[in-house]
Amino acid sequence: MTDVQLTLFALLLAFVIFAALAAAFLRDILSAIIAFAGFSFGIALVYVLLRAPDVALTEAAVGAGVTTVLFLLTIVRTVRPGGDRLFERIKWGPAAVATALVGVLLTTVRSLPRIGDPNSAVATSEVTRYYLENAYPQTDVENVVTAVLAAYRGFDTLGEAAVVLAAGIAVLVVLRKEVYV
Amino acid sequence: MSSLDFSPRAYVESTIIMTTVRVVSPFVFTFGLFVMFHGAESAGGGFQGGAIVASSIIMLAFAFGIEPTREWLDDDFVRVVIGGGASTFALIGLGALAFGGPFLNYSAYGISHGVKYGIELVELGIGAIVAGVIVSLFMNLAAGFSDEETDGDEA
Repeated sequence: MTDVQLTLFALLLAFVIFAALAAAFLRDILSAIIAFAGFSFGIALVYVLLRAPDVALTEAAVGAGVTTVLFLLTIVRTVRPGGDRLFERIKWGPAAVATALVGVLLTTVRSLPRIGDPNSAVATSEVTRYYLENAYPQTDVENVVTAVLAAYRGFDTLGEAAVVLAAGIAVLVVLRKEVYV
Repeated sequence: MSSLDFSPRAYVESTIIMTTVRVVSPFVFTFGLFVMFHGAESAGGGFQGGAIVASSIIMLAFAFGIEPTREWLDDDFVRVVIGGGASTFALIGLGALAFGGPFLNYSAYGISHGVKYGIELVELGIGAIVAGVIVSLFMNLAAGFSDEETDGDEA
């Protein structure tokens, strides 16, 4: 990464962490939802910088867009808590659990490869080489991610599509829009 | 809160939002279709494209109210889109079996560039499922609330 990209990356990470803390601590749910949308959008930009545009598109559309709207629809029915406090009171038990979890996760960061490391397991793996060499001749598709998702791992993707379908049907059933019995 | 008769939801007509959405949503919709169709050559695919298409419709519902949007976009139509997407995907897989290949092996169809067309069709199927499910999630969550309200069965 160049210096400009590094600076941008650091700023983005700071923004993402700030937005995440805001989403966790703001007392007003509407503000928390907006902070959460900001968090998703920041993470999407981080994915772009990490050269994962497919994931970034998903995060921006689903994380920042659709879930925000669904949350907004849901809180219409809730009541705004009284009082003028801006932030939630910190509950020390859950806070300790969360801190411990973050600590455990941080210990794994050292074993992750550096960004763009040519010797990382992902870059040198036989599987990566196979897909990069054979995806285009075998499938006529230029985006290797799409080739893996829809052709090599097509059955997995069919399963994922079935999960989305099942989720949709489950909501219809829970909201009793259809009589299935 | 507005005093619209059909629900207590906070729908307020806003000229700015309505005008913006009227201008922006066709482009969002087209971009979603582009991401869906062009997933084989560039970033994106059925899932992302479907989510973008759905968000353009949700945008319309936010700007012009949910009930008018529901009248315009029939629930049954959304269900047909979802079912159509799922059966497209499954039928392409089963069709390969019928042509004597393994399940979902697009080259079994024996068309030139058959794999590519198979992938494109599958992406469109996924896009239809995702767009349809997101739109129906939105519509049903909204309707679920208003129905509860009219039933008056709040505990």
